[in-house]
Formats: sequence, structure tokens, C-alpha cells
Amino acid sequence: MAEKIVVTGYGIISSLGIGVDKTKEALLKEERFIGKVLHLQTEHTDIPCGEVKESDDELRRHLGINSDYIVTRTPLLAMTALKEALQTSGITDSTNTAFINGTTVGGMEKSELYYNEFFNGKHTEYITAHDCGAGTEQVGQLFGHFSFMTTISTACSSAANSIILGADLIKAGKVDAAIVGGTESLSKFHLNGFNSLMILEHEACRPFDKNNQGLNLGEGAAFLVIEKESNAKKRGAHILCELAGYANTCDAFHQTATSAESTGAYLAMSKALQNAGLKTSDIDYINAHGTGTEDNDIHESIALKKVFGENIPPFSSTKSYTGHTTSAAGAVESVISIIALLNNFMPANIGFSEPIDATGLKPITHTTKKQLNTIMTNSFGFGGNDSSCIFSKYQVS
Amino acid sequence: MSIYIEKIAQISIQSPLSDEWMRDPIYPTQRHCRFICPDFKQFLSPATSRRMGTLLKCALTSAFNCVKEENRTQLDGIFTGSGLGCIENTEKFLTSMLENNEQSLSPTNFIQSTHNTIGSQIAIAFQCHGYNITFSHRGLSFDSALMNALLKFKLNEIHSALVNASDEMSDAYFKLFDHTGYWKKSICTTDDFKHAISSGSFAGENSVSFLLTDKKAEHTLCEIGDIELFHTPSDKELIDRTTRFLSSYQLTLNDIDTVVLGHNGDVENDEEYNRISNLLVPHARKVIYKHIFGESFTMSAMGVYVGATCINQQHIPSHLLLQEGSTGHHKPTNILVVNHFKKIDYSITLLRSC
Repeated sequence: MAEKIVVTGYGIISSLGIGVDKTKEALLKEERFIGKVLHLQTEHTDIPCGEVKESDDELRRHLGINSDYIVTRTPLLAMTALKEALQTSGITDSTNTAFINGTTVGGMEKSELYYNEFFNGKHTEYITAHDCGAGTEQVGQLFGHFSFMTTISTACSSAANSIILGADLIKAGKVDAAIVGGTESLSKFHLNGFNSLMILEHEACRPFDKNNQGLNLGEGAAFLVIEKESNAKKRGAHILCELAGYANTCDAFHQTATSAESTGAYLAMSKALQNAGLKTSDIDYINAHGTGTEDNDIHESIALKKVFGENIPPFSSTKSYTGHTTSAAGAVESVISIIALLNNFMPANIGFSEPIDATGLKPITHTTKKQLNTIMTNSFGFGGNDSSCIFSKYQVS
Repeated sequence: MSIYIEKIAQISIQSPLSDEWMRDPIYPTQRHCRFICPDFKQFLSPATSRRMGTLLKCALTSAFNCVKEENRTQLDGIFTGSGLGCIENTEKFLTSMLENNEQSLSPTNFIQSTHNTIGSQIAIAFQCHGYNITFSHRGLSFDSALMNALLKFKLNEIHSALVNASDEMSDAYFKLFDHTGYWKKSICTTDDFKHAISSGSFAGENSVSFLLTDKKAEHTLCEIGDIELFHTPSDKELIDRTTRFLSSYQLTLNDIDTVVLGHNGDVENDEEYNRISNLLVPHARKVIYKHIFGESFTMSAMGVYVGATCINQQHIPSHLLLQEGSTGHHKPTNILVVNHFKKIDYSITLLRSC
């Protein structure tokens, strides 16, 4: 049997605050932070978002970075989460370690601000900071000498796919450890993009509710330190949990809509179970993708029914707390799921009241204590890039 | 396990879907060279063509030409690299958002702006539900996609893969990158690539698809060994890790007869290629390709394509040689394709005749 892959570090920033502790507190108290944006300069101030409270300057100060250091918000969020992930893992030697980041927005949040001035040769430093990889390099270089680094951009499943790639690299013996996750700041670009698709809720979202009108965008970043069990043991690391299984599949139907059969979501969940060598009855809780759009919530429900039949495990969408953190979501929700797993509670799907007629599924409406051993988290993206990850409590081999 | 490149189809600034550049390359006559497009009507339905921008049309056409229709649904994975994604669609949505003050926007360009549009449109066209991923990591976007594909083969999870590298350079982005010193102020000559004395390169565009399988077929181009990715490596790390991965193919650095290098006319860039090729394989023949394909974030894919084509045809045309008269008599057998991006990220890929 292949060696276990374990999680030894985690870090997070979202509208719930900086760090695992603040996130846990908000989840337990059912406190969400979705409201008027303060930092994003948009005309659409009526659209609520899960914006990170800290300004760029506050994040710089938190990180001890000079105020004149050129960096966009997406890597700043990543640095904040990565710092915590590395601290909790206690990992100091990054030589045989890969750094894999997921993002789509990249430096857009500054490009959209300076775009017209770029053509006059102004703010050119933000032209080179625009592409997705630029931020990854800045983040990676701040924290160590990695064996290599790369950036995944599969829209809303980017961070989940970075976890999956990291695990595969460890499995194949390419690296001993990987720092995996994703980051995304709000941008006018994607706020307007989602708005033009008419899938933004103008109230705080209530995923899986029949009267919900769409999603709230959020921002944030989260990273995990994953490694071979033997590597973690050798360096005496505290093992948080196991990454038990995962799968990356494609719906192959439409750029923004889901197939009627929910093929991609169905395959992601069932192949992840297969990969973990687990039965459907082994899953104690599912952190659903649950964006709040009709398309996602109906089709994810259909896929849940296809995979789990009559016995769908308790599930909730914590996007009702953070908003949809897009490329970071896979990691943000993995960290939330790990917090839930380690503390034996299932976070609420805030605001839910009535199930969708077509599927009738009810998520957990209040944060509930429960002994958890194995949990699943879903991340589905534009283009049908669908992935699922399964985490289990660590059992000594 | 051996992994093979069964087919490659390219659209670039050379004649599309052909290896004509081996005999008769087109040299740049501008600082910004755009795609030479094939007749899309032969490959794409009018409805598809209408919906898509040039980059997506090129990507789908190269993918269609790479994988036979009967094999498309059975493909186990689609691995895409794109440094800038669908930048023209991104720009259109951005410009319209700025001009209209965030009001009354059409979602079409937004929908097709994400980097994974390329990989997912190929999946939709192929009806392929397998592993699907897109990398966007500067000069290592393609290399990362290739690394992920080879990794999945090694884990025995896939038996076939499409690896695609696509980047376009819009007029607007050409201008923006001009401000950052990416491009030379004059039209590049081949001499600029052999003896660079100034900074900058010239812009190319590329969409190239590779079909990888774990079975050798009649028209297989070559074997693809492995790819190693590096981040700011020391010389020792470069040598050690390359030596180690070659040893798993019972090869040493001495067995490498040819090295494919990404000279792009920028003096600093090219000096680094000279330095590391002399460090790793001083005896090997040096092949360049960006003097005819131009520069983009995923142009390293053309390096693998050039290397694979030379192995397959058992011939290296003299116009690809960095040093004239260095052609030698021996045929290319073991090739390393070396890529670096601004001396930060590096990759080394092994290609072998089979």
C-alpha cells in the first residue's frame, strides 16, 4: 500500500479574519462577514461581498513587508495564509518541497486600475505583475527555496487541483512535501463578469435554498503543508489529518453551465471515494461547493443523489460565511473542513430555509457537534473543471 | 515505463499544421508576428468559429489534428499551459467594463476569458471527462502541464494525454510589454539570436498540441523521458538533479548529443542558456528555435516540438544550429530541451529516439 499523505500545516485568510482560530470562532458562532465592500473600488456598491477586512497596507504590516514593495492583493493574501501554514507545520527546510499555487485573478486587481495608464508607460511594474505566475513567484520567494513552483488556473477549482497535484508529486516520490493551495482577491473584473452573467445575489447568499438568487463573491487564500507520513514523522511534526483521496474530472459540457446528468461532479466525488478506497457510508460530512447559483446547487444536489443515493451525508456550503473565494475556494474550504474535522463539528449552511423543489435536499442549518472521521470537500469550476478531496482523522500507521 | 510522443500539431508564426519550417522557415519581418492560421473551415463548424476567438480556434484545430476522432473520448487527460490565457477576450471585457463604467456588459468575453477556457473547450469538443488541468506559470506554463502529464503516466493513472500550449499576443499586450522591455526596438535578425548584444526579443504566438501515449505506434515521433522543474537552482542542483533523472534512463550527461535552447535575442537570457548548456553538456550540439517562432510564455513547447521533429526526421537543419558548421555526422538520439524564464524558473526535458 502506498504511503499515507498527511497534512501538517494549514493557514487561512478570508472575510472571517486572519488565521485558523478566528475562522473556527466564526464557524462555531455562525458569524458571517458578507456585506458592503470597503477596499474594492467598484460602482456596484450594492452587491455584497465577502471582502477581507484588512487593507493592502494592513496586510503588509501584518507580514512585516515594506510599504513600497510592489505587490498586488492576490499574493498579499497568499503570503498571509502561507505564513500561518508554515508556522503550524514547523517545516523549515524547503529544499525537496514544491510550492503550488492556484489563482485566476492574478494581478488583475491592479491592472484594471491602471490599464489606461499602462499605455502611457506608467505603473509598468504592474504590467509584469499581471499574470498568474508573477504572484506565485513573489509569494514563494518570500518563504523559502523551493524545489520548484508552479501555478494552476482552473477557475474555481484551482486550489483543489493544486492540492491534488501536490499529493501526486509526493506519491510519485518527486518531492517529500508540498505547499499547496490558492489565493484570489476581489477584482472589478470578475465582480462585473459574474454580474453580467446575472448570478450575483444582492442579499447574503443562502446556498441550496429555493429562493436564493445567486452567489456572493468573496476573497481569501489558504494553504496546506502536505507531506509523506514518514517525512512528517522524521521531523517530529504534529500531524493534523490525512489527505485520504481526491479526483480531478471534467464535465465536458459547457463553459459556464453544468450537464443535466452532472457528470463532472458525479465523477469527481465517486472517483475521489475510489481513490481513497472508501465507501459512501464512510463520509461523515460534505463541505459542498454550494455557490448559491441555481445551476450549481441543483446539479450538485443531483450529483450527491447519484453518488450517495438515499443516504446523503450531512452537508453544508460554507460559502454562506465567506462568499465564493473562487480560485482560493478549494483551499479555503479544505482548511474549514479540516477545522471541522479536528474539532468535531459541522458548520452551518447559514440562511437556508426552503429546499429546491427539484431535489429537495436540506443542508445543515446550524453548526452542529458531531464526531467526524472522514469528510469530503467539493470544488467545481467554470469549464467543468470539477474536483473533490477527502480528509480523514490521522491514524498512526 | 516508456512514454512516447505520438503526434504533434502546431499553429504558430510558421506554416500551420506542417513541418515546413524544417526546410523552409519563415523569418520575422515584424516585431510582433501573429498566428498564420489554417483554413479553420476544414476543422471547425461555422457555429464554433463564430463563437470563438483566434486562440481558441487555433487550440481546437491543433487538438483535432493531434488526436483522431475515434480516440478522443478515450483520452485519459488534457493538460494545458497558457501564460496569459485568453488575453484578447480578457482585454475586450476589461476595456468594455472601463469604457461603460461597469454598466450593461455582455458576459460572452468574460466567459471565455479564464485561462482554463482552452482546456475545457478541448474537453467539450472531445467529450473527454478525464483529468483536466491548466497551468499559468509564466515561462513554465507548458513545462508544468507536461510535468503533470508525465507524472500521471508514472502513477499508472493514464495511458494517453493531450498536452497543449497556447498563447496569443494581442496588439494591446504587445504595446504593454513593449513598455517593460520585452521586445527589441528593431526587427530581429538571426544574428541577434546567435550573438545577442541588446535586450528584448520579438513576439510570436503559438498553439501546439502533443499526443502522448505509453505505447509505441507506427508513426511515433520519439520517446519522452521526463521533465525536471527547478526554481533558482544552484549549478550543483542543476547538475545533480539532471544527472539523477538521466540515470533512471541509464544515461549520463555525456550521452546527450543535442541540446535545444531558448535563445530569444535578449543578451541576458541568451548568456544564461550558453552558461548552463556549457555547464551541463558542453559537448552537445546547440539547437535554437525562437529565431523562427518568436517568444511567448509557452514557447518552450516549440522547443520540445523542434527536438522531437529533429529526432523523428533524424536530421537537424543547419538553420537551427547555434554554431554554424557544428552539425557533425551523428544523428540526434538523446536530446535535452532546456528552458529558463528570467533565470528564475528552469526546466529540462529528455527526448530520445525510439
